Amino acid sequence: METKTTEIKTGKTKKKLNYRGEDPNNLIANSIAIVGSRQMTRYGRDVVDKFVCDLVANSITTISGFMYGVDTEVALKTLEYGGKHIAVFGCGLNHIYPPENKKLYDEIIKSGGSIVSEYEDNAKPSMWKYPQRNKVVVNLASLGVLVIEASENSGSLVTAKLAKKAGKKVWAIPGPINSRVSVGCNELIKSGDAKMATAAKDIAECQIINDKLQIKNRPELPKQEERIYKILQLEPLEIDEIARKTGMRIEETGTTLSIMGIKGLITESGGKYYITI
Amino acid sequence: MLTKILSASHFGLTPNLIEVEVNVFKKGFPGFSIIGLPNKSIEEAKERVKTAILNSDIDFPNQKIVVNLAPADIPKEGSLYDLPIAIGILASMELVKLPIEKSFFYGELSLDGGLRHTKGVFLLGLAAKQKGIKSVFVPSESANEASVLSGIDVYPVKSLSELIAHLNGLKKIEKIKSSKYSVLSTEYCSVEFDFAEIIGQESAKRAMTIAAAGGHNIFLVGTPGAGKTMLARATAGILPPLNEDEALEVTKIYSVSGLIPAGEGLIRNRPFRTAHHTTSLIGLIGGGTNPHPGEISLAHNGVLFLDEFPEFSRGTLEALRQPLEDRKVSITRIAGSVNFPASFMLIAAANPCPCGYLGDPKRECICTPRMVMNYQSRLSGPLMDRIDLHLNVPAVDVNKLIANSEKRIAKNSKQIREEVVKAREIQNKRFKGLSFYTNANMKNKHIKEFVDIAPEALVLLKQAVNTYNLSARTYFRLIKVSQTIADLSVAEGGERSRTNRILPNHVAEALQYRVRNE
Repeated sequence: METKTTEIKTGKTKKKLNYRGEDPNNLIANSIAIVGSRQMTRYGRDVVDKFVCDLVANSITTISGFMYGVDTEVALKTLEYGGKHIAVFGCGLNHIYPPENKKLYDEIIKSGGSIVSEYEDNAKPSMWKYPQRNKVVVNLASLGVLVIEASENSGSLVTAKLAKKAGKKVWAIPGPINSRVSVGCNELIKSGDAKMATAAKDIAECQIINDKLQIKNRPELPKQEERIYKILQLEPLEIDEIARKTGMRIEETGTTLSIMGIKGLITESGGKYYITI
Repeated sequence: MLTKILSASHFGLTPNLIEVEVNVFKKGFPGFSIIGLPNKSIEEAKERVKTAILNSDIDFPNQKIVVNLAPADIPKEGSLYDLPIAIGILASMELVKLPIEKSFFYGELSLDGGLRHTKGVFLLGLAAKQKGIKSVFVPSESANEASVLSGIDVYPVKSLSELIAHLNGLKKIEKIKSSKYSVLSTEYCSVEFDFAEIIGQESAKRAMTIAAAGGHNIFLVGTPGAGKTMLARATAGILPPLNEDEALEVTKIYSVSGLIPAGEGLIRNRPFRTAHHTTSLIGLIGGGTNPHPGEISLAHNGVLFLDEFPEFSRGTLEALRQPLEDRKVSITRIAGSVNFPASFMLIAAANPCPCGYLGDPKRECICTPRMVMNYQSRLSGPLMDRIDLHLNVPAVDVNKLIANSEKRIAKNSKQIREEVVKAREIQNKRFKGLSFYTNANMKNKHIKEFVDIAPEALVLLKQAVNTYNLSARTYFRLIKVSQTIADLSVAEGGERSRTNRILPNHVAEALQYRVRNE
C-alpha cells in the first residue's frame, strides 16, 4: 500500500506526517481523541459504546492509538456505527502492532479513515515511541481528548497532560473509586485538569441517540426475574452472590439467569452478570 | 525328559497362551538357558528359580537345562514365568506329578521359595475361562483377582514347597471360593475433602454434581486459591460405586498395570486419577514397545483430573481429543495394535491468565494482553468443544462467607452422592444392554432414541442457539446436560415431574454451563 505524506499544524509550527488511506487533514475538522486503559473493564466497554455511538451520529471523527483495550474498542465501535477513525501508530506503517488488529487496519482504510505515523515506514515499535505518538494524537484532535479509563501513571494521563499543555480541552469519565482503572480519571476530575463527561453532549452539541446507560423504565418482569434485576441494578454480581442475596436455590438462580440472558435483559462477562437495559 | 507347562501372557488387554517347554538333559555340559525371546527380567529368572528350588530343600540338577517359551516369535517380559519354569524343571526330574487336567501356573518366585504378588492374574483367569482350562495356580496374594471369575478353580499358592506337596498329593491346597460381586451403595469411601467443607461456591458444587451424575467433562477456570483443586478432589467423594460390568473393565486394566494391591480382588471404587502437567504423552495416552495403558485408561469409568490444563504440552492436549470422542484409544507399535478403553470423565482446571489474577477484584493482573491471548489459545477450539460443562470459579470474599455461612446448610458429600447414585441408576436402566452407562456418552442417534424433550424446552433451546450462535455440537451437548439435570431432579424427588422428560428449566440451567467465547 502506498504511503503518502502530509503536514499537520502543531501549535505554531507544522509537522510532517506519513499516512495511508484518507488525508487526516480532511477528517479532523470535528475530531476527538479517545484514550484509555489497555485493560479495559466491562464498564469501559459500555462507556465506549455509548459515547462513540453518539459522537459518530454527529459526524465527529474519533482518534486513537491502535493499542489493545480502549483504543481498539473505539476503532471497532466507530466502524460499527459507520464513522471515520484515525489510528495513530507508534511505529512505521509497515508494522501492524498489535498484529491481531490486521483486520481492523484494513477496515479503517476501507471505511475512509486514516492510519498515520510520524515515523518512516519500517520503523519498529519501541517503548519510547509511544509517548511521542501521544503528541500526534493530541495535535490531531480538534475538539479535545476524552479519557475513558486510566489507572495511576498510565499513558492516558500523559496524553491528558500533553493536551492541557497544547491548550486543548480534556474530559474524563468518572468511575467507581475502588476501581484500579478509574483512579486516573477520577484524579483528573478532582484536580480540575479535566471536565467530567457523562454524555456526548458534554463534549459537543450533540443529539443523544444511544441511551443504553440512561436509567429508564423497563418492561414488567416475572417475580424472580424482577428480584434479580433489582439486585443487579446496584452492582454486577456473580451467580453465587445473586443466589445468596435473593435466597433462591442455585438451580433456580441459574435457570432464571439463563432465561433473562436469552431475553436480552442481562449479559455475562468474566463470571459476573450485568444488566443491559 | 521334556515337560510342557501352560501359562499365559498378555498383549495389551488380550491374553495369550504360552507353553513353557522344559527339558532336563541326561547328557551334556551342565547349564541353564532360556529361549523364546525373553527379556532381562526373564533371563534373571534362572537365578530366582535355582535359589528357590534349593531353598525348598531340593537339589538343583547339575545337568543341561533348556527352557523354551512358545510361541517363540512373540517377545516376552515379566517375572510371571518363574513358577512355570520351576515346576517344569521339577516335573522333568520327576519330582512332582503334574495334574491330569490342563492347568495354568503363574507367578514370581522369591529366593526363599515363596511366591510374590504378580500382576496380570485377572487376565490369566480370563484366559483360563476362554481356553477352557479348569485350574490355575497363582500366588496367594494375587489369587483374589481371579476369584471373581466363575467357572475356574483358583489355587492360592504360598510357596513352592507347598505346591510340590499339593501336586504330589501329600497336602492339598484349598481352592479359593469365588466371591460374588456386591455393591454396597451405602458404603462410603473417605476422601480428602467433603463438599460441606467448601464454603460458598454453590454454583460450582452444583456443576460438579451434574458432571458426576452424567459423567460429563468439566472445565474450571478461576483465580489461584478460588478452590478449583479442592472442588475437583472433593468430587472423588460423590462418585457412585462401579457397577459389576464397569468393575470388571477397570480391574482388567489395573491388573495388567500391576496396580491392584496384594490381597485385593475386584476394584470397586471409581478410579480418580491425577496427572501432573509434566506427564509425557505416552504416560497420559499409553504406549511403549509392549503397549501399556496410560493415565486416560487407568481413569476408565472414573475421573481424570488435569490441573493447570494449559501448562500441558500442546501435543499432549491434542492427543486427548480422539479418546475424548471415541472413549477408547488405539495404540499401534511394531509389536501390533492395541485398544485400551478410555471412557473417563475429564476435570480440567486452569487460571484465566499466566499470572492468574485476570478479573480478580482484589489483585491486579500483570499480564499483557498478548500473554493472556497466548495462554488461552493453548486450548484449541476442538478440545474445548469436547467439554460439556464450562464453569467460572470466582475467588470468594472470606469475610462475606463467614458472615453468611450459618444461614445455609450445605449438603455434604454423602447426601450428594446418594442423589448421584440414583441418577446413575436411572441412566443404567435407560442404556441397558448398550456399551455405555452415562448420558455424556450418548451419540446423536441415542439422543433421538432416548431423549424426550418438551416442546417448550425445544423452543428455548432453539432460541439459545440463535442468541448465542451455538454450534451443532454444542446443541447436542446441551441436550445431554439437560437430560442429566432432568435425571437429577427425579433423583432428588422434590420436583413435580416424575418423568425424565426435559423441561424448559432443565435447558435453562444447562445453558449456564455453555462455552463462553468472549
